[in-house]
This record gives sequence, C-alpha cells and structure tokens, in this order.
Amino acid sequence: MNVLHRLKSWFSFGKATPAYPFAALFKKFQNILKANNDALELIADMGAKLSGDYVFDRQYILSSSAELSDQVYRLIVDLNTLTSRKYLELFNRYERIHQSIEEELAGKWILPQGDAVIAYEAMGQGLHELVGNKNANLADVKNVLYLPTPDGFAITTSAFRIFLEQNGLYQMIQQRLQQYADEAELQEAQTPQSIESIAEEIQDAIRNGQIPESLQREIADAVRALQQSKRSSGLFFAVRSSAWGEDAEYSFAGQYQTLLNVASDRLLDAYRSVLASAYNPSALVYRSRKGFQQHEVAMAVGCQLMIEAVASGVLYTMDPSADERDVAVVSATWGLGAPLVEGMVAVDTYTIDRQPPFQLRSMHVVRKPTMLMLSPDGGTETRPVSPELENKGCLSSVQLQRLVEMGMLIERFFKRPQDIEWALDADGKFFILQTRPLKIRPDSGGPTLDIAEIAKRHPVRMQDRGIVVQRGVATGRVFLLEDPDDLEGVPHACILVTHHTSPRLARVMRRIHGIITDVGSQTGHMATIAREFRIPCVVNTGMATRIFKTGEEITLDATQNAVYEGRVEELLYYEFTEEDVFEETYEYRLLRRLLKRISPLNLVDPHESNFRPADCKTYHDIIRFVHEKAVEEIVDLENSRVGSSGQARELVMDIPLGLCVIDIGGGVRPQADEKRIGRRDIVSVPMNAFLDGLETSGMWDSEPVSVDFGSFMSSMTRTMSPALSDPRNAGRNLAVITDAYFNLSLKLGYHYNIIDAYVSDQVNDNTAYFRFLGGVTDMTRRSRRAGFIGEVLERFNFRVEIRGDLVIGRIKKCPRKIMEQKLWMLGSLVAYTRQLDVQMHEDADMEKHKQSFCQRILARLQEESQSNSLQPITHNP
Amino acid sequence: METERKFQILILDDEPIVCKRLKPALEKAGYEAETFTQSAMALHRITEKEFDVVITDLKMEGLDGMAFLTEVKKRYPKTEVIVITGFATMDTARQSYQKGVFDFVAKPFKLKEILDVVEKAIAKRTATEKGNVP
Repeated sequence: MNVLHRLKSWFSFGKATPAYPFAALFKKFQNILKANNDALELIADMGAKLSGDYVFDRQYILSSSAELSDQVYRLIVDLNTLTSRKYLELFNRYERIHQSIEEELAGKWILPQGDAVIAYEAMGQGLHELVGNKNANLADVKNVLYLPTPDGFAITTSAFRIFLEQNGLYQMIQQRLQQYADEAELQEAQTPQSIESIAEEIQDAIRNGQIPESLQREIADAVRALQQSKRSSGLFFAVRSSAWGEDAEYSFAGQYQTLLNVASDRLLDAYRSVLASAYNPSALVYRSRKGFQQHEVAMAVGCQLMIEAVASGVLYTMDPSADERDVAVVSATWGLGAPLVEGMVAVDTYTIDRQPPFQLRSMHVVRKPTMLMLSPDGGTETRPVSPELENKGCLSSVQLQRLVEMGMLIERFFKRPQDIEWALDADGKFFILQTRPLKIRPDSGGPTLDIAEIAKRHPVRMQDRGIVVQRGVATGRVFLLEDPDDLEGVPHACILVTHHTSPRLARVMRRIHGIITDVGSQTGHMATIAREFRIPCVVNTGMATRIFKTGEEITLDATQNAVYEGRVEELLYYEFTEEDVFEETYEYRLLRRLLKRISPLNLVDPHESNFRPADCKTYHDIIRFVHEKAVEEIVDLENSRVGSSGQARELVMDIPLGLCVIDIGGGVRPQADEKRIGRRDIVSVPMNAFLDGLETSGMWDSEPVSVDFGSFMSSMTRTMSPALSDPRNAGRNLAVITDAYFNLSLKLGYHYNIIDAYVSDQVNDNTAYFRFLGGVTDMTRRSRRAGFIGEVLERFNFRVEIRGDLVIGRIKKCPRKIMEQKLWMLGSLVAYTRQLDVQMHEDADMEKHKQSFCQRILARLQEESQSNSLQPITHNP
Repeated sequence: METERKFQILILDDEPIVCKRLKPALEKAGYEAETFTQSAMALHRITEKEFDVVITDLKMEGLDGMAFLTEVKKRYPKTEVIVITGFATMDTARQSYQKGVFDFVAKPFKLKEILDVVEKAIAKRTATEKGNVP
C-alpha cells in the first residue's frame, strides 16, 4: 500500500470518529508501550545476530525486518489515534525507511552517500563501504596502528555512484548484468563469448564516460593539498582499485587494475581505467563463483603517492605452505614490487620467527639481474641491477625483524594472517602499501583438530559460562583490570579480564587480544565495540575475575566458549583456516546494511530542535519519538481529566511525591480504596522495588538545598515541553502499573525522569529503562550531574547513553531478584539526585558523589542480602 | 583417538549460509559433515551412504524436508534426524515427532544449541548400537 493510500484511508477513518473515550485512548497508550518494548527488543535481537554466535538465514532477515516494519507502523497509527493525528508526517518517514529496507532485501544496487574524495589521514574507521576494503585497511594501518603508509586519498564509491548516474550508466549496467546472470543460469555453464562482449560493452562505456565537474574539482583539490604538503608540483601516484569485497575474505588478487607512477594530470584517465576494470570478464566470473551478487559491485579507488622503492616485496605473516606454521615469509626484490607480485621474476625468500625477537630462520638469495624502476615522466621501466647488488640479498636481518614486527601488529589487528605488500625507500624506511587477509589452507588430510586431545594437554579453565559477544580465538597473558578507569597499565597482546563491561575499554581495544568479564550484556556498548574490533569476547561469566590471575597464559576460544590453560596453537590456526569468515558472508553484510537503517538513534533529546518527525532517519528514531510523545500525551490527557473518573488514584506516601497511579492489570490490591491508596496497596513488583529504594535507602534528603540566584534565573528560562510547563503539572506525577510492570513519569523539582520496567520470573522479558533530564542550574552543572548518573548506572551494569544533561540507562534479562535490586538502586538514585545539580560546583564533585553513593548503596545491598531480601550485587549470573 | 570412526552427519538446507556455518562447527567438534542445498542431491547421497545423524530444514523448494526425513527414516531407522526450521508450528513439530525425529531446533539458533542436540543424538545412537550388539 502506498503512502497516499494509507493517508487517505486514515483521514476518512478519522472523520467519523471525533473523540475517543479515555479508556480507548488508554488502550492505545498501552499498545504503544508494548509495541515500543517489542520493537526495541527485536532491534537488539537482530543486532545480537551479528555476534556470530547464531546461525541465521535469509528467511530470518526477511521475517524479522517485516515484523519490525509492522511494529513501527502500528506505533505510528496508535500515536496518531492517541494525539488526534498530530504526527502524520511520521508515515512519510516510515515509508522512506521501509522502502530502503525493501530495496536492500530485494537486492537493489544501493551505493552509499558520502564524500566523493577522502584523504587517508582523514579516514575514520568503518568506512569500508565508502572507500572499499583496500583503502579502509590501509587507513587503519596508518591511523590506528601508526605504521608508515603512502600519503594520498581515496575516490569513494559515492563518487562511483555520481559518475554512473551522470553518465546514465546505472540502468545500462544493471540490464547487462542481469542479462549475463540469466544466460549463465540458462546455460548452466557460462558462455565465455557472452561474458566477453558484455564486459567489453560496459568497460567501453565507463572509459568514455565524463567525469562530473564537481568530482574533477574535488580530485584537483586533493592533489593540490598534497602538492602543498610535499612542496612539490610534480607528483606521481599509484592508482589502485579498492572495490567492495576486494581484500576482504576474497582477495580478488589480480582481478582489478593497478596503475603505477601516474602523473597528476593523467589521474582522471587512470581513474576511469580502474573503474572499468570492475567489469573485466575474469572479475565478473570471479564474483559470481565466490557468491557475490552482481549488485554488490562498487569501485572505490586509492590514489597513493609513489614510493621510490629501493626494494619491495611481500610479507606473509604466516607461511601458508610450511608444515611448521610458526614462521613468517618475506619475499623481496630490488626496485618496485610489481614483477614479484605478478610472479615474473626470481626473488629472495626469507623465513622468520613469528615470535619476538623475530629471528631469521632461513634465507634463499637469488640472482636478480633486473629491476622495475620509476620512469621520470611517468610509468615504469625495467633496468639492469648493478653487478655488486645482483647477487646480494635485499634485506638485512635487522630490517627483516622490523618488517615482521610490523606485520604481526597488523595481523593481530585484523585477526587473520596477512598478505602485506611493502616498499623500502632510500632512507631505509618501510612503507605498507596494502594488506589483506591471507588464506591458510588446512593441512592436507582435512582438519585434524580434536578438542578432547587438546583438553588432555591444556586443562579447561572455564567452559560455557556467560555469553559470547564476539566469536574467535585469542591467546595471550591474562591482565586482570581492577579499575576500568585505569587503562594505562593494560599491556599489549593481553587477554583482559574485568568485572564489568565498560565502553571506556574502547581505548585499549586495539592492543588487546580478548576480553572476559564477570557481568555484562550482549547488547551493551562494549559489546558493540568488541565486535567492531573483532576482539574475541565473552561477557557475564560470573566468575572470571575470581578464576584468572594476571600473567598466566590462556587461550580463549570464544567460538566454543571455553578457556584453556596455556597457548593452544592448533585452535588459533584452525580458526585461521576456516573456510569462511562469518563477517564476510552475504547474509551478514545484508543484515548489517539493514541495521544501519534501523538501529542508530539520532533523536535523543526531546529538547533539541531535531526532535521532530521530519528528522527521523531510522526505525529507532521513530520508535523513540512515538514513545516520548505518547507519554507526553497521556500525561496531558490525565491532567485535563482530573476528577472526572476514579481511574487514577492518589498514592499517599511519607515522601511528598504527588504521585497518581493508574492500574491497568493487577498492580494494586483489589480491596484498595478507589481514590487514595497507600504503599501497602501496591503489588506491582518493579514499582515496589523502586519505591523502596526511594523511601528506605535514606537518600531522600528532606533538607532543601539553597538555590543561588544564577540557578534560579536559569530555571526560569528553561524551556520545557508543553506537558511539563503546564502549571497543573506541578506535583502531578504519573505511574501506570501492572503486577509486573510500571511506567513512571516523574517530575521532581525541576528534572524529569522516566522509569519503565518489566520484572517477572520470566528472565527474558525483564527490562528496565531509566531516563533522566533537566535541572534547575546552568548547563555545566547539569552535565556534571548527568555524568555522575551515567557513571553510577554503568557501575551497576546499565547500558548508558549520555547527551548533554540527558541520561538513558537500560538493563535487561536479569533474574527477578537482580532486577529488583537495580530498581531499588534507581529509586535511591532518583532520591539522591533530586537536587544534586545545585551542589555540582566542579568536575571533581562527580567522582566524589559517585564514590559516596555507590558505597552507601553497596553497603545497604549487602545488609539487605544478609537479611535475605536481596542478593548481593556482585552475584550477577 | 585417530583410529576411532568419526560420526557421519548430513546437513540439508536450501540456504547455503546454514550449511556454510554448520559444517565447520561440526567438523571442529570432531564429526565429519556433508552439506547439501538441494534435496534431490541429498536424497541421492543417502542411497550411497548411511549417516549417523541427518540435520534437515523443513521448508524447501522441490522435495520438502518432511518427505526427505521420511525417506531417511524408512531406509535407516537408526539414523537420528534433527529438524531445523524457521517456521516452527505445533503442527509441523507434532508431525515430525510422529515420524521419529530426534529433535526440533527453531532457526535462528546458537551453534552451541545444535551441537548439544547432535551430541545427544549421537549418544542415543551409540546406546542403541551397543544394545543391538551382543
């Protein structure tokens, strides 16, 4: 159904029904809360599938996307019913996102939007789709590992898209490729003739295409910037392909074109030529054999300044052919490396230990009569090698050590043995020209791995505890991290063992081999980051910090979820030889692309100007927007109908909370009074836990904090959402409860909390959501308080998001007792922070308050656990 | 260890990704695994070889999983069949169990889950074999 049709049916539906009874509207509100939770669950679920721990198929992607689209659509309908159609624009937003998801699922050719030209040093991580793998890998080597690489820039797949669009080639290529695919299927064997002619037609069209002026300008700007930094006008480039899929699990080695020593005024031709090579016949066949869909083609190009190489070659960080795998192999020749890569010349070969100090094991030096050199006017030429160098090895053992050390750093980062092209310049400096995964074949005779055998030699230290967040195998020495703030001491290549997950670990992610934690969730921020870096990671083991000691050597197999004593090389190598890396499968790529349209949250703060339907870019944005507006609306509705019904009941408490309770299913004792109820009447599990924390933690400081004049003024000028600034709201707080659920909109002083929680014996349904916003003082102090709250929430294993003075914390799937503890803590936290921002004079106060709060809470929980009403907080399975 | 017979597993699922993921996981656990994405090919293969465990999807083009597993059980009553499917209804579950299916795993599943089920199926099969040999 298209959007117009939907809107029409919507309007005609609306005309006949002017106003709904409150009960009906309330039902809608309930639906929204439920659909909101369901949709967020589904998103988290889809995200969790990227961990590699699950086997999922295309059907899963289709059905979960469809289900999510459905949920989101229903949310929009319900919100518009609730608000008398205030947010019809959401339908347009929905339609746009839905459409793009459908296109992805249908396998349409969607090239990324983004900069057309990006310099290597400006390339952030994760730009693989925009700059291609080869460029992205090289950028990581440069910007993350700080190893020398040539300067230069990438012309992105976005530029590729612009080029195709402006030349009208999009359609034409699609048609030809479809024709090719059809024919291939029809005849089962590909007829070389038809491939040749189709390839030729596409390539011609690209070579004769016009490069859009804007792109020409951007390329010229990038060249000019390099000319300025190099103080030279005569620059020469290596122009290399960097296509989707290239240099990932599939090397595409030799499939696409590389042009060497291209003068800057010849760059555009070289660019077109490399683009065209995306459609050469062998690349077409290669792609279809390797399971690439034809629509997954996009060519970015790397333009790197030529290195005047004295010697060049290739480093394999692991010898793919040797019986003994603990060596790296270096091949080398004089001059440029192209003849070596193409297998045109005899080369020196060295084998070197993979472990420090990287000793030379063997060398085989041959006669190298010729070498490829740069021609002064561009291009390359073959020249004779001088007689004294002809029979000499290209590299000294010291140079080899340096090279292999660089290689091992790269291997660790990319989690695979690497095939690295390098060049050595006249100053004796090594440059990494490109790096890609090296495929290691298992020993002949098939896999010989035997877990039972391994366990005999390497005792199992831990098995099947916790959740695998990122699979993979890591070996290293344990480093027990006691204070997640103190990351300075974390050594390179260790396996980090820590009590809880923290997104702050991102800082050391690059240098560690693996992570094991006592507590934590699969959907936390740290989990996301571990996946980004592909660090084998197991969280929530409940015991790791008690079992492991700093310095002991272990092997973490986060695929089987086991930890072995010592270094189990077989496991590591077995992982290296696995046929397919999960992350390189089509389904993984598809799900990841879909999630980009689903899960990022751009609408965070309802007070920001972008908090409106027109700025909803993802499903998550829509869900968030609907939830916010639904709660706002129901608070408004409640206020406008005070006294009109007995449904909302006042909760009488020792603390002046001004709280109204609406029971929508078993949250209040049946015998309770119809107008006023007391604490004893509440039977809602999460509500009681929260109120207990609020009342009994001793955190509610009844002494009013003196508000200085500046704070007072700033409170007068704060803009509140309409529902909150309504004077009738003063002292009116709302809780919607059932036996296992509560949604509390709480305005205390000048700040605003939402706590939404479901707690029952069904562990998987349990969730708690905490949102905190506002405050009486200036932004700096409010941000300090937000920082404090964020840290506390993190300390209690919530997943935390902070923007300005807005804090969101989430936790889920803990057993009931633990959830009750968390809510108890939230109650205390709300009480503690009630007027705290007034006291936040300096940054150090944040830490002071965190210490004092956490100490008091932990002590209380300890006491409580001894009296058996709550379990100790560290006992989090 | 080396001389012991490796247990033979056949996997049939029309989505290549499922085969791609299951095969190495099973091999790593010490089994030998063959994968098929077309039921006709799998059907042919079982005429040539007896497998200890068969893992099959239910809904596929051509001959569907139910017909395939019926054929497997008819030919080799002792072979344990594990059904993996994304459309698990009570009805299909009941029907599969009636045909003597060992277990039913809903997609998506964790690798660990399926490995556990396979281990149990193997244990059951070994027990039956021992029971039959005097």
